[in-house]
This record gives sequence, C-alpha cells and structure tokens, in this order.
Amino acid sequence: MSHIEIDDLTITYETADQAGRFVAIDRLSLRIERGTFVTLVGPSGCGKSTLLLAVDGLIQPAAGEVRVDGTPVTGPGRERAMVFQDFALMPWRTVIENVRLGLELHRWRDGDPDRRAQRFVELVGLAGFERHHPHQLSGGMRQRVGIARALAVDPEILLLDEPFGALDAQTRETMGYELLRIWREQRQTALFVTHSIDEAIVLGDRVVVMGKDPGRIVDALEIDLPRPRTLDMADSRQYVEYRRRVRSLLGPGDAAPQAGSA
Amino acid sequence: MTSPPRWAVSCLSVASVLAAWELAPRAGLVDVTYLSQPSLIVRSGIGIIATGALWRHAAVSLQEFFAGLLLALLIGVPGGLALGSSRRMRRFLDPPIMALYAAPRLALLPVLVVWLGIGLASKVAVVFIGAVLPIVINGAAGIREVEASLVLAARSLGAHRIDLFTKVLLPGSLPAVMAGVRLGVGRGILGVVVGEMYVSQVGIGNQIMQLGSSFQIDQLLFYTMVVSVFGLAATTAVRRLEERWRPWSRER
Amino acid sequence: MSGSSGGWRASLGSGLASFTVIAAAWELGVVAGVLNPFFTSRPTAILSALVEQALTGALLVNVRVSLGEFLLGFGLAALVGVVLGVLAGWYRTVEYALDPFLWFLYSAPLIAFYPIFVIWFGLGAWTVVAIAFLLGMPPVMANTLSGVKRVDRSLVRAAQSFGARDRDLFLHVALPACVPMVMAGLKLGVGRALTGVVIAELFGATAGLGFAIGYHGQLLQTTEMMASLLVIVALGVAATQGLAGLERRFDSWRTGPG
Repeated sequence: MSHIEIDDLTITYETADQAGRFVAIDRLSLRIERGTFVTLVGPSGCGKSTLLLAVDGLIQPAAGEVRVDGTPVTGPGRERAMVFQDFALMPWRTVIENVRLGLELHRWRDGDPDRRAQRFVELVGLAGFERHHPHQLSGGMRQRVGIARALAVDPEILLLDEPFGALDAQTRETMGYELLRIWREQRQTALFVTHSIDEAIVLGDRVVVMGKDPGRIVDALEIDLPRPRTLDMADSRQYVEYRRRVRSLLGPGDAAPQAGSA
Repeated sequence: MTSPPRWAVSCLSVASVLAAWELAPRAGLVDVTYLSQPSLIVRSGIGIIATGALWRHAAVSLQEFFAGLLLALLIGVPGGLALGSSRRMRRFLDPPIMALYAAPRLALLPVLVVWLGIGLASKVAVVFIGAVLPIVINGAAGIREVEASLVLAARSLGAHRIDLFTKVLLPGSLPAVMAGVRLGVGRGILGVVVGEMYVSQVGIGNQIMQLGSSFQIDQLLFYTMVVSVFGLAATTAVRRLEERWRPWSRER
Repeated sequence: MSGSSGGWRASLGSGLASFTVIAAAWELGVVAGVLNPFFTSRPTAILSALVEQALTGALLVNVRVSLGEFLLGFGLAALVGVVLGVLAGWYRTVEYALDPFLWFLYSAPLIAFYPIFVIWFGLGAWTVVAIAFLLGMPPVMANTLSGVKRVDRSLVRAAQSFGARDRDLFLHVALPACVPMVMAGLKLGVGRALTGVVIAELFGATAGLGFAIGYHGQLLQTTEMMASLLVIVALGVAATQGLAGLERRFDSWRTGPG
C-alpha cells in the first residue's frame, strides 16, 4: 500500500457566471510511496495546486478518492501539513507565534509548544528572529517560517504549493537546497508543486508531469541522481537528458522559461 | 510651483480670520450680538470653567456618550463580525443597513423620546444608533478583508469554526473594526449634542440651545469649541489604537 | 457593499425583498401582541396614514417644503464645495489657508450653530437652508480637493510631454479626472444635508417633514411620526441611489482598481 493513493480523482469548480462546471482535474490517479520527494510540474491551470488542496482535505472531490495509509481523506489532518506560495503567515503574530499556530490548533500535549516551536525556528535558520513580525522579514525568511510552521506539527506528509514562486531567482535556488537539507532530517513524504523544470528535477526523486484542459497526469520520470543534490549536477549528461524529457512532455511553450540554464 | 510652508500659511490664515473677527465689531462693522468676538469667547470660557458649569454639563454629556458607545461596541463588534462571516445574512441585511446608514438617523429623535422619555436613555439610544452602524459595516468588511490564504492555512493546520474565528478572522479584522469605532465616535458625539439640543434639562447640547435663545453667543461658541476639541481628541486616540494594530499592513 | 454582480437591479430586488420581510414581521409582531402599537405603530396603519396625508395634500406640502430647503441648501453646498475644493486642490497655498477651517467644519458639531443661525435668519426656512448648506459642504469640498490633488501623475506628465500648459492641464486633465471623487463627495454631502434639513425643521420650523415628525411626536402620535420618517428615509435612499446611478455613468470610463 502506498503512503498516498489518489484514485480517479475528479475536481470541478462552478464557473463565475454559473454557466456550468469547470473540470479542474479529470480522473487523476497517482501513487506516492512513503518517504519519497515527488515534484509536480505543469503549465498554469493544470490543476496542480488544486490537487494539493484535495490531498490536504481542503476541498472535496466531485468523484474519486484520496487515501492516506488506506484511509480516505475527508478533511485536513495532523499527518499532513502544507506550505503556501504566498506564505499565508498571520501578520499580527510574531515568527515564533506563527510557528506555534498548528500546535495551538491541535492542542499539542507532547511537551511545551514554545520549546518545540523554537526548535523549528532554529532548524530553518531563523534563530534570533523569533520576536519579529512577518512584515519585517524578507520573502525567503517568511517562507522559512511557513516551512517551520508546517514541520512543527510533525507531519508525515509535506505538501508544498510553489513555495518559492514568490521569491527572486537567487533566493529560490538557495531555498531549494535549504529545503532539502531540512527534509533530510525526517524524510517526510513530500509533494512539491512547481512551474520550474529545474526545480522539479533538482529536488525530486520523481517528477510527475501534468497537462491541462482537463488537468491530468501526462507522465512521470524517476530521477536517479544521488543525494545530497549539488549545484554541479545540473551539468551532468543525465540531468540534461531528464530536462529534455520533461520539456518534451510539457509540450511547446508551457513551463516557465528558465533563467540562465542550458 | 513653490509655495510657502504649510504651517505658515495655515497659521496666517487662521490668525487673520481671528483678527478680522476681533476687530470688525470694534470698528463698528458688525454687531457683536450676531458674531461675538474671540476675546469675549475666551473670557466667558474662563467664567464657565471657573463656576464649574462646564464640568456639570460635560459630565452628563460624557456619561450619555460613553454609555451609548459601550453599548454600540458590545453589540456592534460581534454583530459586524457575525454579519461578515455569513454570506446569506449579508445579502439579506445589507439593504436595510445601508439604508439606515444613509438615512438621517437623527430624525429618529422624536421617536426615541416617545419610547424612552426625555432623560438619559433617549440620548444613550441616539449615541448607540449613530455609533453602531459604522462599527457593524466596517466589522463585516474587515472580515472579508482577511486574506483567503490565511483561512486556508489555518484550516490546513486543523482549525475548526471557533478557532478560525478567534485566531484568524477576529485579529485580522481588528484594524477595520477600529476604523469603524473611529467613525462611530464622531457620530456618537454628534448624537449626544443634537439629542440634548432637542430635549434635555442638562448637558452641553441643552446649554447650547439655552444660551442661543438668550443671545449669549460667546458662551455658546465656547461650548462648541469644547465639543470640537473633545471630538478631535477622541478620534485621534482611536486612530492611534488603529495604527498600533496595523503596523503590518502599512507595507502592503 | 453590494457587489457588482447582477447590478443595481438585483440589489434593488433584494432590498425590496428584505424590506417586505421586515414589514411583514413588524405587522405580525403587532398582531401577535409582541409589539405595542402605541410605541411602534404598524405598517398597515402607517400606510393608511400616508395615503390620508397624500389625499389631504398635507404630505405634498411637507415634502415640497423640505425638498425645497434641501435642494437649495445642498445646491449651494455643492457649488461652493466644488469651487473651493478645486481651488484648494489646484493651488497649494489656498489649500494650506483653507485647511484649518475644513478641519474645523469636520470636527465641530455643526448643528450647534443652529441657535446662531436662528439669531441671524430667524425661525424659518432660511435657517434650515443654512444648516443644510453647512452640513453638506465639507464632504463635497474635501473630496473635490482630494480628487484634484490626487490626479494621476502619469496623466499629467503625458499631457505635459504633448505640450500642455497649466491651463490645459487644469481643464483637460485635472477637472475630468477628479469627477469620481467629486461624485463620492456629493453622495456623502446629500446624506448630511438631508439630516440638516430634518434636524433644523425639528428644532423650530412650521412646515416640512422634520417639523411634522416633531409635531406629531409631541402629541405622541406614533403613526403619523413614522409616516413622515418613512418619507424622509425614502427620500434619502432615493437621493443617494440617484447619485450612485450618476456616478456609475461617469464611472464607465474609469480604468484601474475600484
């Protein structure tokens, strides 16, 4: 049994003018094994974020099912935690209070929530910034808070919805490697959505390519690069081949243009 | 297009008006009974303070004002937040609320007097009606201002309805609520004064009417100034609170 | 607050629906003995009182008096407000000079000037007009000022690059661009001016809707009071909606947020 099983998932939205239903995802099936880092790449509107929301139990499918360890998902749960593209930090809470949010909501009884939150603040490299407010932090730092917040509730599954999409290219790259460093501690099952082919390959054990109209899976690639991933891997022949394949799966002019890469 | 500094021009403008006001009656251009004079106003003001009359009447007005404001807060804040959270309630209650907001609510004064008599209660009611609407309207808008992704994030972390309200929607809409309170304070002050002018035996509004009918414009204007200053102080205080709770959104 | 989807017809529809429900509940409340009709009256009684007033011509007289005072007072307020607002928005010095007075008009309880106006104009229509003017003017002026001041810099620069001089900038860029703000100010001013009319009539007039409310109030005639009140509220809503409609016509060329 896979850790996450997505079976014939169909998700629809009502269109704004109520003219009908828009099919965001059409009979999508996917299996994700425990402890793997799976990246989802696809063009805008292919439903990748929607898929993530469904796995987190924040939206209900029209048909099909998501199962975690065999149990169907009906709503959010402690074993799943999400990191958002726009950080979604409570602006009135300090860094440590934000990280603590999940612990408060789950009525954490396993030790002092503040001490636990502090650990994760340090883990993501923000020691010393505990009493800062989000508006005093840079984009990269805010996302670190978002990651810390997700990790604090000790999830088995990490869902990351284009977490670095709002950051500049430089910070994006750094944060990617930071994320891997943090992920290596516990090796949660991770589902990472991105626009960027490079990000998908560098970070993932497996790249799942999605298409749109309607949202569905086109194909998937196993990435056989050794961990820990390093910068110079991008020059290897293997990497270039992966890149070419993902590119061709995505079709012409779909994924975001890559700044500077081959 | 360089212009002289703001301070200078404003002060000069006010000073010249005050000077003209003071000098015109002296020069015989205007009858002082119609316009009074700054010097007379100051003199009568001192008298009013010295005899304790100011405090006597201000106490009553302040009582009515704060009672009405408190009521407006107690009912308006939860009411506005509840309204903002429910789309169906909004669609139903929107038109009457907006109509009440636009309508001349002070016209309700006679009705309130019939219901509550000529004492404190009717004034408190006027203050309440004036203050509660901006609080409700702003509270409802404030809830909708809270970013959707914050709600999503909280739900993802396991928040249910109550937690969602207390930990996300409430703190998130606080700045808007404060803005509503600020507007409510202004309308409340107006309500007290007009209410007392219409029917009352004591209070600043009552004084204003009495002094008017006895042609004592200098004292009347002094009371008007007092109310203005209080209003300014009150709204500034609320604005300070508003700013304190809003440091994060300044950068938006 | 009502969204743009469905437009004003939908909001009018839902508005009428809510009012009907409230009126029905009110009537039922009286019938069921929950509400004391002495204090609250009832929709059916109010309606028949209105009809009666209309038939005897009393309604028409009151409406005409109040409406006349309102139109005169608000008309003056709009005129003076816009002129002063434009001048203050365009000339920095004028703005600095007028600023303290505008602040005062906004923060003082202007109704307190009623007794002074009575001394100047007597207990008649002119006092009412004066109060309406005094109350209606500040928002018009403040919004006009703001509208002229906040003209999009890029529009100004573009016009200047095409050779516009100050006078052209004023006539062809600033004036048209400030219209939305002026309309917003007018909408605010309408409510305040109408309030002024009603209050001033309440305090000491011999005709008009405000006077009617006070008169019937003193006689504890709740129904007639409510009837006049209803007419005033209806007038206020009509005026605001009318201006909103006008605003929408001007809004059609507005690009950008809002």
